[in-house]
Amino acid sequence: MPKCIIDGKELEFKPGEMVIQVADRNGVEIPRFCYHPALTVVAQCRMCAVEVEKMPKIQTACSLPATDGMIVHTKSAKVKAAQSSVMEFLLINHPLDCPICDEAGECTLQDYSFAYGSPDSRYEEHRRTYIDLDMGPVIKKNMNRCIHCTRCIRFCDEVGGFREMVALKRGNHTEITTVDGKPLETEYAGNLADICPTGSLTLVDFRFKKRSWFLKKANSVCQGCAQGCNIEVHQDNNTVYRHVPRENQDINKWWICDEGRFSFQFVNAETRVTEPVVRGEGKKIEISDWPSAVAEAKSKTKGKALVLVGNDLSNEEIRAIQAFTADKIKGADVFHYGTPGITKASDDKAEDKILRRTSKTSNLHGAEKLGLKGWDGSGKYESAIVFRGGRAAELTDLRKNVSGAIVGVGVFNQPAIDSYDVILPGLTYAEKSGTVVNWQGKEQKFNKAIEPVGQSRAVADVFALWS
Amino acid sequence: MAEMIVSKFFYKKEAAPLEYYKKNGNGYAALKKALAMKPDEVIAEVKKSNLRGRGGAGFPTGMKWSFIPKESKVPKYLVCNADESEPGTFKDRAIMTYSPHTMIEGMIIGCYAIGANKSYIYIRGEYVREAEYLEKALEEAYAAGMLGKNIMGSGFDCDMYVHRGAGAYICGEETGLLNSLEGKRGEPRVKPPFPAIKGAFGGPTIVNNVETLANIPWILNNGGEAFAKMGKYPNSGGTRLYCVSGHVNKPGIYEFECGKVTLRELIYDHCGGIRNGRKLKAVIPGGSSAPVLAAHELDIDLDVEPMMKAGTMLGSCGIIVIDDSWCAVKAIKRITHFYAHESCGQCTPCREGTRWLEDVLHRIEDGHGKEADLGLMLDVANNINGKTLCALGDAAAGPVLSFVQKFKHEFEEHIKGGKCPNA
Repeated sequence: MPKCIIDGKELEFKPGEMVIQVADRNGVEIPRFCYHPALTVVAQCRMCAVEVEKMPKIQTACSLPATDGMIVHTKSAKVKAAQSSVMEFLLINHPLDCPICDEAGECTLQDYSFAYGSPDSRYEEHRRTYIDLDMGPVIKKNMNRCIHCTRCIRFCDEVGGFREMVALKRGNHTEITTVDGKPLETEYAGNLADICPTGSLTLVDFRFKKRSWFLKKANSVCQGCAQGCNIEVHQDNNTVYRHVPRENQDINKWWICDEGRFSFQFVNAETRVTEPVVRGEGKKIEISDWPSAVAEAKSKTKGKALVLVGNDLSNEEIRAIQAFTADKIKGADVFHYGTPGITKASDDKAEDKILRRTSKTSNLHGAEKLGLKGWDGSGKYESAIVFRGGRAAELTDLRKNVSGAIVGVGVFNQPAIDSYDVILPGLTYAEKSGTVVNWQGKEQKFNKAIEPVGQSRAVADVFALWS
Repeated sequence: MAEMIVSKFFYKKEAAPLEYYKKNGNGYAALKKALAMKPDEVIAEVKKSNLRGRGGAGFPTGMKWSFIPKESKVPKYLVCNADESEPGTFKDRAIMTYSPHTMIEGMIIGCYAIGANKSYIYIRGEYVREAEYLEKALEEAYAAGMLGKNIMGSGFDCDMYVHRGAGAYICGEETGLLNSLEGKRGEPRVKPPFPAIKGAFGGPTIVNNVETLANIPWILNNGGEAFAKMGKYPNSGGTRLYCVSGHVNKPGIYEFECGKVTLRELIYDHCGGIRNGRKLKAVIPGGSSAPVLAAHELDIDLDVEPMMKAGTMLGSCGIIVIDDSWCAVKAIKRITHFYAHESCGQCTPCREGTRWLEDVLHRIEDGHGKEADLGLMLDVANNINGKTLCALGDAAAGPVLSFVQKFKHEFEEHIKGGKCPNA
């Protein structure tokens, strides 16, 4: 393999690789705004300046193919001068509104300003300002903060699949906006906030909710569909604030879809049932306590029983349910369920060319591997237990199959609980750890991010009380 | 004046028809000759001529042509850069007005040499009349069998189109031009790949200036060696069109052998000196992008290398003469406004820096300058110079650096006096 020398280190590279790629692979930090490994190289921001021996001009590492024997310096005086001049240029029109900007704390411009910029400004002229257009329900634009890196334009073109964002006007007046000022249509708009190196594009949902440095992070797997995109769950004070994608080249690359990104909202929702409830004397649902609710559930589960296992549960939970049913609810029919219309793994198809799958639950493929069959909605039963992790369909018309009591174990919401007789509140993906299997058959572990909300308990705890 | 190559037809017949070109010139004889040669031989002849690109960079044309890969899976293209957007330059317009066929013949020969069957003339949007003349000339050439299928029975096919720009300076930069030609935003591309490898529509592409191409028929007719013999310096053959504008008595286009005239001779002997008997202050020698020369720096041969040695450039030979009635600050403010206005906005130093320079110059001209402004301008210009994606950054920074260095006293007078001394 050919070798180049970066900062005195001899590094191997594949022919065709750019210097920035070689540096990234070997832990040499080169600052950048416009370069993103998923997008075309445009060499616009000029931040990734490097000095190459025998080349008179400063080069941009993102557009410089590595050659055998090339000697590159990333920290020389010439490079530092170039980087600080780029920072000065970018900051002359950037508002100093970090204190009210959602990006603060995780802002590339802020970080680089600290690392490569100057604490003073020589700029005394008027700052450029723009009037912002509405970009739809997902993304909030603040063009004054924009540094024109065009990552968003290239993301829409090259990843999102269609041209939605454009640069208007030219020179100093260049404005990054949507085509004809229309709201964004892509199902992947949230990624724009992730790749934007400043606070120019931020999430409407996250706006003014939390300073980023207060957030604690847990590695997790998105439960929004059978793709199993890798995410981080960000929480503070036991409240989940957002999902952020984690890079996984085999599954989701750098991205997640909007549906998955905002699929955390039910965790801390007011409508979520987090106390055990039972249907009392007056046929009304009433808050109970754990021992009496479990006793009620146990006494009412009789005769020929139907056990429905949400395929939004982890492998560990499904195995526990299988063992429990075999032991305690003899003769019951056990099925998995999840997305309406999808009863077996082969029903799960790609919903678009990027990530989304038609199975809107995370563990359809795992449930099937564990030997469960999908429920087709038929059969007559005397009682039923429904296990649900939060994403599977809320079964509200079970009465047509079940003559007796219906018990729900897991995550249920108002007003769906009106169709149940007992609810034993369980845990969402954010409150537990476990394993799910995505459509490719990859087993992935997700980690607990917050403590159980209210009186919610794990499936295993419910079973312990039951026996 | 030496034998005129390009300006031979100037000011004789507007939109000279094919018949006129045949009667008064050699009328596509060069094309006939070229088609009888092998493409490689045509390139070799052009290489021999030491013809350098007339658009501004002065790159040897024959060498550029030889960069085109012989075999290509995608179509190759030849594009004529008729954007002529450099302030002070108006030679290409004269060629397109008075002898469009010279340029078209040169283009067809170029297409044959590099193996391109499609060719575009990218003409600046403001040249409405010239675009019409070219369309008419193309029609004539098609009718006479010089374009289309099986040209002159040689089996070589070539189609040519006129594409009008929409008024952006940056579309005169070859990759910006190609983007615009493809219907995209007129923004320069990252190089490499260079157009000779991946240009228009992804195919290997040669972009040549109008004047460069208009020289090709003469080279084929008279031989590369005869062309190379012209001119004072060994590596630069033929003649050049010098566009003189500004405060001279006889502005216009002058053709001389490369380097055989000095700037002083051109201004005082040929252009009749400075108008109204005033004194010369400055000369911008190669289009507004070229660093300025002061009145005492005129004894330079007008060719690529001597100009480079003098710290400026021959560029597109757009020579702008400024007399002492003009304020240097006002002049550079006007030039900087142009570059700030024409910056495409892609890369940071040019987008932010050109406008910053303009604002500071505006302040100085208005009498609100500060002593620190001169150092600031030099710094900002140096931070643009050589650090941008395309040459527009250098074009904007070079003039500022040279004006501040050479006319420092005028800037200081503005700052100290709190107003323009001429106002």
